Amino acid sequence: MPGARGVYPLAIPPVIQPGIHVSSADPALAAAVLPWVAALELDPPAPVTLEIVVGTPGPDPGEPPTFSQPHLSLWTDQRGARLTWDGAPAEALLPGTERRARVTLSPAALDRLDDCCRVFLLGVVILLLRRAGWHHVHAATAIDPKGRGWLFAGNAMAGKSTTAAWCATRGWAVGTDDTAFLAAAGSHVEVVAARGPLALRDGGKALLSRPDGTPLPSRGKTGYRPEDLGGRWAPRIRPDIIAFSAVGSGATHVGPISPRETLAALVRWSAWVLFEPSLADEHLGLLSSLAGQTRSLRLTLGPDLFAPGDRLMELVP
Amino acid sequence: MTTTFRRHPDLRLAALDGEGVVLHLGSRKYFTVSETGVAILDLLEQPRALDQLVAGLMERYDVDAAHADQSVRAFLDRCRSAGLILESES
Repeated sequence: MPGARGVYPLAIPPVIQPGIHVSSADPALAAAVLPWVAALELDPPAPVTLEIVVGTPGPDPGEPPTFSQPHLSLWTDQRGARLTWDGAPAEALLPGTERRARVTLSPAALDRLDDCCRVFLLGVVILLLRRAGWHHVHAATAIDPKGRGWLFAGNAMAGKSTTAAWCATRGWAVGTDDTAFLAAAGSHVEVVAARGPLALRDGGKALLSRPDGTPLPSRGKTGYRPEDLGGRWAPRIRPDIIAFSAVGSGATHVGPISPRETLAALVRWSAWVLFEPSLADEHLGLLSSLAGQTRSLRLTLGPDLFAPGDRLMELVP
Repeated sequence: MTTTFRRHPDLRLAALDGEGVVLHLGSRKYFTVSETGVAILDLLEQPRALDQLVAGLMERYDVDAAHADQSVRAFLDRCRSAGLILESES
């Protein structure tokens, strides 16, 4: 006997909520990946889907990768993108500009699921989010006590994580120390943070005099939430200042950077812009708008940053 | 016989306060570009001969023909070696 039928809510038609969806024929696998996805706290403007299967990834194409970065190799052509991981056999196929990826994880990759998520699946999510209008930039984000949004860009040893953690110790709001996404917001560009621990090496821990934190053994680092350090989390910022940071031995100081250098540096820290031609125009437009809306500076970080007080607010009042 | 120049279709230009960055999506390289370089690349949205580029530069800037010609030739040489422009004879 059929059950009672409810009144169809005409005012609320069926909708698909934006988000990062995970599907798998293996419910346990989906259940294992979902907490990692949820922890990113990303709510993209259009849904993206990871379709995960366990199996043997296909062989690499004969030609060299379009792009390589530590642990990841990317091939792109008109048919779409293919991403692989060097930690264990794993591949993701993204057809055309569709917002779904078919991910094949080997049993060896499943044995290293934490690393697989943090390195490989994050790379897949970055490619998927491009298709939803969010473009990755390798940068840290924060909001200072005056409410100004900061973007800290630089290479892996440029002090981004330590600076982000330092900001939190001074009561700033901090979004991410590494993984951010440019998002159009009317005539401005905002930057969305992927939630994750601010990951400090021992040197950063010592500079901040923080013996506590959560060990991240596979990375050889220690993790902190902004809240652990006296700050709060900022899921999204509107950048007013871009600081291209580097670590120096003298006093902390700031210097000017030209618009041309700013654009070039933003391109440098947004390598994906170059590797998927169909999305390059949108990405480049966001980078140009970002450079146009912000004050840019070179920031050389010195040991005096860690003295009492807020040196950055003194240098950039 | 006249040689005309135009941007490579894989070229993308982002300009800010006159200066800019050029991406070549095929070679996956990028270059910074001065204000006058951006002006020439703007002109190269349409196929142009050398004398048209020189005239276009002289319209935008207070520069004599000899200096503009020298600047355009030098810039085209750099663009040619980077694969940023295409040339055709007509």
